Amino acid sequence: MKSLTRPEQISFNVNGEPRDVVIYPGETLLYTLRGDALGLTGAKPGCENGDCGACTVLVNEIPVKSCMVLTPEVEDQAITTVEGLQNAPIQQAFLDHNAFQCGYCTSGFLMVGHALSQDVDNGSPERTVEWLRSNICRCTGYQEIYDAVSSVAHPNG
Amino acid sequence: MTIIGTSVPRKEAPNKVTGRARYTDDINVPGTLNAVIVPANKAHAKIVSMETEAAKNVPGVKAVITGQDVSVLCGDVTEDRPPLARDKVRYSGEPVALVVARDEMAAHRAASLVKVHWQDLPVVNTIRDALRDNAPLVHEKNGEYAVATPPVYPKKRSNIADEANVTKGDADQGMKNSDVKVHVRVSLPQIDHAAMEPRIAKAEILADGRVLLHASTQAPFEVQKLIAKYFKLNPGQVIVTAPLVGGAFGGKAAVQLEILAYLASKAVGGQMVRIVNAREGDMSTSPLGMGLEAEVTLGATRDGHLQAAQMRFYMDIGAYTDSAPRIARAIAAQCTGPYRIANVHTDVFCVYTNHTYTTAFRGFGHMPMTFAIERAMDELAHTLHMDPLDLREMNAIRPNDVTPTKARLTRSNLGDLPQCIEKMRPLIDWNGGKVQSVGAHRVRVQGVAAFWKTSSSPPNAVSGALVTMNSDGSVNLSTGAVEFGPGTKTTAAQILAEKLRIPLDRVYVHEDVNTQVDPEHWKTVASLSTYMVGRAVVDAANDLIGQLKSLAAAVLRCSPDDLDYGEEKIFVRDDPSISIKFSDLALGYKYKEGDSIGGQLMGRGRFIIRHLNLLDEETGHGRPGPAWTVGIQAVEVEYDEETHQYRILKAATVLDAGRVINPAVAAGQVMGGMNMGLGVASREGVHYDAQGQFLNQQFRSYKVMRMGEQPQQYLVEFVENPQLDSPFGARPIGEHAVLAIGAALANALSRAADVSLNTLPITPEQIWRERGARL
Amino acid sequence: MMPNPLHYYRPDTITEARDLFEQLQRANQRPTYYGGGTEILTRSRLNDGDFDAVIDLKGIPELHVHEQDGSRLRFGSVLRLTELADRDLWPFLTATVDRIADHTTRGQITLGGNLFSTLPYKEALLPFLVSDSADLTVATPDGVKQRRLADVFDEELRLDPGDFLISVTVDGQEAKALAFKSFKMTRQDWIDYPLVTIGTARREDGSIRAAFSGWSSFPFTSSRVNKILSNTQKPPEERAREAVAAMPFHAVDDIHGSSEYRQFVTQYTLARMLKELEAQS
Ligand SMILES: Cc1cc2nc3c(=O)[nH]c(=O)nc-3n(C[C@H](O)[C@H](O)[C@H](O)COP(=O)(O)OP(=O)(O)OC[C@H]3O[C@@H](n4cnc5c(N)ncnc54)[C@H](O)[C@@H]3O)c2cc1C
Ligand code: FES
Ligand code: FES
Repeated sequence: MKSLTRPEQISFNVNGEPRDVVIYPGETLLYTLRGDALGLTGAKPGCENGDCGACTVLVNEIPVKSCMVLTPEVEDQAITTVEGLQNAPIQQAFLDHNAFQCGYCTSGFLMVGHALSQDVDNGSPERTVEWLRSNICRCTGYQEIYDAVSSVAHPNG
Repeated sequence: MTIIGTSVPRKEAPNKVTGRARYTDDINVPGTLNAVIVPANKAHAKIVSMETEAAKNVPGVKAVITGQDVSVLCGDVTEDRPPLARDKVRYSGEPVALVVARDEMAAHRAASLVKVHWQDLPVVNTIRDALRDNAPLVHEKNGEYAVATPPVYPKKRSNIADEANVTKGDADQGMKNSDVKVHVRVSLPQIDHAAMEPRIAKAEILADGRVLLHASTQAPFEVQKLIAKYFKLNPGQVIVTAPLVGGAFGGKAAVQLEILAYLASKAVGGQMVRIVNAREGDMSTSPLGMGLEAEVTLGATRDGHLQAAQMRFYMDIGAYTDSAPRIARAIAAQCTGPYRIANVHTDVFCVYTNHTYTTAFRGFGHMPMTFAIERAMDELAHTLHMDPLDLREMNAIRPNDVTPTKARLTRSNLGDLPQCIEKMRPLIDWNGGKVQSVGAHRVRVQGVAAFWKTSSSPPNAVSGALVTMNSDGSVNLSTGAVEFGPGTKTTAAQILAEKLRIPLDRVYVHEDVNTQVDPEHWKTVASLSTYMVGRAVVDAANDLIGQLKSLAAAVLRCSPDDLDYGEEKIFVRDDPSISIKFSDLALGYKYKEGDSIGGQLMGRGRFIIRHLNLLDEETGHGRPGPAWTVGIQAVEVEYDEETHQYRILKAATVLDAGRVINPAVAAGQVMGGMNMGLGVASREGVHYDAQGQFLNQQFRSYKVMRMGEQPQQYLVEFVENPQLDSPFGARPIGEHAVLAIGAALANALSRAADVSLNTLPITPEQIWRERGARL
Repeated sequence: MMPNPLHYYRPDTITEARDLFEQLQRANQRPTYYGGGTEILTRSRLNDGDFDAVIDLKGIPELHVHEQDGSRLRFGSVLRLTELADRDLWPFLTATVDRIADHTTRGQITLGGNLFSTLPYKEALLPFLVSDSADLTVATPDGVKQRRLADVFDEELRLDPGDFLISVTVDGQEAKALAFKSFKMTRQDWIDYPLVTIGTARREDGSIRAAFSGWSSFPFTSSRVNKILSNTQKPPEERAREAVAAMPFHAVDDIHGSSEYRQFVTQYTLARMLKELEAQS
């Protein structure tokens, strides 16, 4: 049985690197990622309530709202944050389609879009909409984001 | 050069797609303390006593501050708002205490232990409550507060915080001369800006007396001035930094957390203190956008010429005035919408309620105002059996007309609405607003609405630009405008690059704003940055070119008048082979012998708004802004007559942009604006219960548009009639797409459902209700 | 943003988990079982939880079971809603859970967490409520027990304190034989709590059952309403009207919609569902 009742070190893989971090038992993955030890501030707090998706990262390739996960849950798992996207096609697509303004929601949308484009059955407009409904953007008209993600997730329409 | 009118990516774009763009909370100094607000859980109640001992005893807590510790009153017009409630609270969510602790956990625990003993007061929960005879008063001292920036006309012993009136011609007579009259009442709830980055501020007071503030703000220079004023500091002592801002929409022009951060830092000996809103507090504690109840009567001749308008606007400003009086004046000044109406009488009231206080919201009051006038215009078209677009075109305000405040309009200061309308017809495939059946219980309908807006800025608003040269001849651009999404810095860079005839990538922008090193820019609001910053940039570019030429003239032994420039060189106009590179001049010119002249070249540019004035108290006459942007918007909806659900098929905007500087970014602004305006009209709004408690302070319950709910198709076009005093003729366009699209939706749905939809948001339930609520 | 004041435990076996709950209680802690955490964490951050220790059930293999187990379909309680939908063992369940929250969040919400949510909705319960054969496999101090869902459901699934859900099963034959519809109606938005979510199923004998979420502060099914809906003598609209009039509880009135509007929406939705169901057969 795993138990954490005080700050303790745990290990996981972040953006391809094994990392050991001391965490509180009750801290969220968002908190851990943004903390001084990792300094991965790409994931943003927008609501910390699971509603906005600005904090989305991938856990084992699956998009996850990092404000709704306790860090001890992801012990030994593989986390990918926006900082871990290395020239992923989705990033260029966001640039090409002007898919952001203030940019605060962007990391979250990128992670969902990236996961969708890697997913075995990506590929339909309905699925793209359904995945992207998880996130809120207050600046754009959403069409730009949809176009950017579609161009990568189902380039042939 | 082709930089102007070219779609270029935002300067900071690569950082935004890699997580490298840094916002205020992404940069923290180790050891920073955390402050947490204790919000009131009553909308209107006397504070009988407060117990803070238990909170103070929580390990890690450094200070607990209450209203008793702070005597200052804040407000950018009327100084009616204590940063921490004193004696009583006026809205649920109002800060009553501030806990400062080593970490947020301790601060939160302590905050939950602060106990307030209340004595309930009757809650002013609606505008109607507020205006009743003998209504409970939100502010007993209304009318006695200091006024920071007149004018404001509060009514003592009432909940009327301010009143603004405009009279033009004789509205009563105009009504008598009208063949038809329509009367419309509209009702709009308060709304939240819902910028994705919650508000945040950090403050530190150095041993040398300097105050360093970092904040997600649209108004760093305002923060600087207000902190200096409230706490009797010299403005130069107060240094405000604003990094990238994660959305603002007017909500970050208000100064609130910055004051609390300063108080918190002061209470702990000047250590760095961070205060950040959770989403719930960002909605209920920090200011919202106003609610509105309005009545509009329009009179017109049988053939549709507007004769008169009478209007009353009651703004639900919530518990404190903030910028409401300015907004009231903006509404008064533009009350007719973009129409020529000879006889106008309009009264605008700022009404205190026990709701969260309000501030500017994208469009500065013009969105709710436009809703009222544009619903009335459609009712008029309906009454006259006229095509609603024809009615608008026929009455469109034109050069040589005067506005309701009698400001004279010219081709330069007014966009061309008829031209926009002409372009809209084919764009949306306008069918006159006919209801078309498209299957069982399903109809398709189009609706239109027009807008205009000017800046309503203070008559002495300033902007500046500083351009310094790097050794390779490239330039750095420093301005005081904050970057929160519209690409302000990139636009400024485009203007500079164009003027200096250099590629855009040779301009490096200073991304953050720092009030100590960047030239002052009034506030990054009112869509004025292109105009004001742009003018300052042009001025700075000219200054730099002058310096380049005069240094080059010495080197090339000719008069500066003989010189021209291009390709990062200064050359002799009639013999370009005689030239010198910018890079050889940038940090001074070094002769072969080694001795040098010049020093670093730096262009200084400045701008101050001209020819504006405050509106006259009696008549309301005056000039509220440099120019009026106009446009027309349309939607096409499919409506289900059985369920009252609807789907937005198309949303279209044509606006007179003067000159489009960055087409892709401009189109993005317009699409985003339409999306927001449609969201406001179709789902947004704060719910208060009978006790004035804010019920929907999360995105779980305060609904904004999501993917798939946006229009199936956006249509955006611009017409370009230059505003002559603006760089390259560009007109303000940042806020505008939000203004009339909600009214266009209401107009379409009112036709579709054959009922007047004058209450927002228009949910299927709202339509069902208006249709008689039949089971 | 701050850490939640919670202790974290991840037991490996059913017994370990069940014992831990009691141990913690004896040590004056307030434990709670933790599935996807989406509700626990939203409550914890608002200081609205009577717990200070979470027992994460996701480390226990039996709770991940997702299979046709003999004649029964078995759904482990820590399966995420997206796993249920992707595998699609029971299309009725898929259709229902696919409308809860948003896609990313559905990748976090567990079946058990939804069934035992403290919110009024628990939409995942609806398909089980309309089936006859739903059973719960429960961890108790006396070991693993089977309970008929009908026996433990009284406005909510009532387990003894400290017990937790291992899995839910339904009869595969029954599940297959049910023609179903699942409609979620919201105020305006796709992602929202329901005004009303209705799961309806038609059995081979033509009788109809409906279960409702959002209408009142707990999900329910009503034999009276089911009887009305099953009376194929009458047109769907009339049955829907009568059903709404015969509902055993008042429709709630809240920020999502008024009580009357809920009735209106429920009525036209039921009528539509009946038509579609009956057209299918
Ligand atoms: C963004 C968002 C949107 C949402 N939208 C909707 C919606 O549209 N409709 C809706 O119905 N809900 C919605 N919810 C709420 C959601 O349904 C609940 O948060 C979710 O069901 C909880 O599941 P979980 O696995 O995360 O449970 P947890 O948070 O882990 O637990 C919830 C409760 O269930 C108990 N529990 C968990 N597992 C078991 C078990 N195996 N045995 C016994 N008890 C157990 C826990 O002790 C706890 O009391 C939304 C939530 C979010 C974050
Ligand atoms: S911050 Fe995690 S969903 Fe909003
Ligand atoms: S770009 Fe600002 S929230 Fe999406």
